[in-house]
Amino acid sequence: MVVQSRGLRDKYCIVGVGETEYSRASGRTTRAMAVEAIRKAILDAGLTAADVDGMLDYQGGDSTLANSVASDLGIRFNFYMDVMGGGSSTEALVGLAMGAIEAGMCNTVAIYRSMNGYSEFRIGGTGARAAQPVRGLDLAQVPYGMRSAGQNFAPTFMRHMYEYGTTSAQVAHVRVAHSKHASQNPKALLKQRVTVQDVLASRWIVKPLHLLDCCLETDNATCVIVTSAERARNLKHRPVHILGVAGRVSKPRLDFHWAHGPISRVAGYYAKDIIFPQAGIGPEDVDVTGSYDAFTFTTMLQLEEYGFCKKGEGGAYVSSGIIELGGQRPNNTSGSHLCEGYTHGMSMVIENVRQLRGAVDDYCPRAAEGVHTYDYSPGHCRQVKDAEITMNLGWAMPATGSALIMRRG
Amino acid sequence: MPQPVQYRGMALIVPDNDSEWKEFYEHARAHRLVVRKCKACGLMRYPPTHACPWCMELGWTWQEVSGRGTIYSYEIVAHAIQPGFREQTPYAVVLIELDEQRGQPTPDEALRVIANLVKADFTPEAEANVAIGRRVRVVFQDLADHMALPQFTLTEEPASGRVWRMPE
Ligand SMILES: [Zn+2]
Repeated sequence: MVVQSRGLRDKYCIVGVGETEYSRASGRTTRAMAVEAIRKAILDAGLTAADVDGMLDYQGGDSTLANSVASDLGIRFNFYMDVMGGGSSTEALVGLAMGAIEAGMCNTVAIYRSMNGYSEFRIGGTGARAAQPVRGLDLAQVPYGMRSAGQNFAPTFMRHMYEYGTTSAQVAHVRVAHSKHASQNPKALLKQRVTVQDVLASRWIVKPLHLLDCCLETDNATCVIVTSAERARNLKHRPVHILGVAGRVSKPRLDFHWAHGPISRVAGYYAKDIIFPQAGIGPEDVDVTGSYDAFTFTTMLQLEEYGFCKKGEGGAYVSSGIIELGGQRPNNTSGSHLCEGYTHGMSMVIENVRQLRGAVDDYCPRAAEGVHTYDYSPGHCRQVKDAEITMNLGWAMPATGSALIMRRG
Repeated sequence: MPQPVQYRGMALIVPDNDSEWKEFYEHARAHRLVVRKCKACGLMRYPPTHACPWCMELGWTWQEVSGRGTIYSYEIVAHAIQPGFREQTPYAVVLIELDEQRGQPTPDEALRVIANLVKADFTPEAEANVAIGRRVRVVFQDLADHMALPQFTLTEEPASGRVWRMPE
C-alpha cells in the first residue's frame, strides 16, 4: 500500500533537547528524572513552561505518566497522551506530535522517556521481568528459555549469517565504531575504545551475540520538543527541520516476527518507501545515521534494509570504516546504546539534533561556543563537519521500526 | 484445570477461557501437534490465532500435522535469563519449519514453530549437532495431566538443503 505524503516536509522542527545523567543507580524516581530532562529541554529551546501545551511519553509499565511530571513543572495541557512502547517510539511520537499540532490541538509538544532501566526494571529481562508468570502470547516462546530481547532476535541474526555470509567480526565493527564515538562523549558510560578482538573475545550471551554485541542497561530520562517551523524561527537555536517521519511500520504477523517472510528482512523494508518520498531525498544524501544499536546486528540490519548498501551487504558496510567518525557517513556519533547509555532510542535523536546544530558536547576546548577541531583521535572531537542531513532508524524488533529524517535549518 | 503449571521455575498459566492455547496443550498432552486450519482458504497457521491472516475468515479447525520439519534458524543460549534455565546452559532454541505448507502461500513463508532442540531425556542437544538444514521431529514433554510442551529432536533423515552452523 502506498502511503501518500501530506506535504509537511520542513514545516516542523525539533527545538529543544535534554537528558539526565546516564547511570546504573539513579537513586531517584522516574518522575524526578523526567522532570529534570523536560526542564532542560524547555530551557535549551528558550521556552517557558507556559509555552509547552502538549506532551507525549512512552513506557512499558516502568515509568511515570505525563500528568505527574507536567504538574511538577507547572505545565497545563491542551493535549497529552501516554503511550505503550519501547524502541522506535521516539520517531513515531515526533510524527504524532506533528499531527497533533497540525490538527490544531496544541502548539508545542514535549516528548519524554524516563526509566530506571538498570536499578529497577532491567531492560535485559532479568530480575522482576524474568519472574513474571507466563501466559497468552508468551507461551509460544518463554517456556523455551526465549525471553530477553537478545534471545528473541538472535534467530534473525543467525539466519542473516546463513543467508549472506555475514560474520561476527564484521558486525563487531559496529561496537568498535560506537566505542570510538563514546570516547569523545563526556556523558558516555563506557568511554574505552575497543577492538574487533575485544568483541570476539567477550563471553557469549546468546550465540551469535557476544557480551559486547549487546547494549547497556541504564537509568536515565530524555526529552525532545517539537513545534512548528514558524514558532521555531524565533527560538534560541538554529532550528532542526523535520523532512520526513515513519512511525512503527511493521511486517505482517508482527505478534511473532519469525512467522512471516524471510526473517532476515526487517521493518525498514516497508518504512523506506514511506519516508524517502516524504523527505524528497535518498540514502546517498544522508550525512549521519542513527541506526538503533540494541545489538551490533540491529544497526547493520537496518542500514542495509533502508538502502545504505545492498541487502545482504550490511556486514561489509559496517566494517568498511564508513560508519566511524571521519568516515563517509558516521553512525550513532554519541556511542549510543552500546556505549553511552540505553534510552529506548531518544538519545540518538538528541545526538542528531546536536550534530545538525553543529553543537555536540565533546572535548573540544571551545565546544560550548560551537567551535570544533574535527580531531577524531581519542578524547577530542565528535562533531561531523558540515552535517546537513541526518536519519534515525528506530528499532523495536525485527518486525517493527520507525525512521526520522532531519535537516539543518 | 489446575493452575498454574510449574516448569523450570516459571508459572505457566493457561486458564479455562484461554481461547488460544488451552486445547492446543490438551492435544499436546495426547502427543498430537495441532495447528489451526482456515475453513475458507485451507491455509494453516501457528501460533493459534482467531482469524485467518490471509483471508480474515473466522472459521477454523484444529489440524494435526506430522511434526516433521527442518531447522530454519537457531540460537545457543549461554547466559540464561530465567533462573530455571541456568543449569541447562548452553541450550538451543530452534526455529523449525514444518514440512506441511513449506513455501506457502509465498516462497519465504512456512509453518514455523519455536522450541528447544532436545535429546531423548529432554536435556539440551549438544551444540555441535545444532545446524540449519538438519531434520527434526516433534516430541512431547509432559508437564501435567492436561499439558505437554512440544519439543523437537534430531532425526537421521538426510538434511534439507545446505547444512550450516555458525563458524567457531
Ligand atoms: Zn483463510
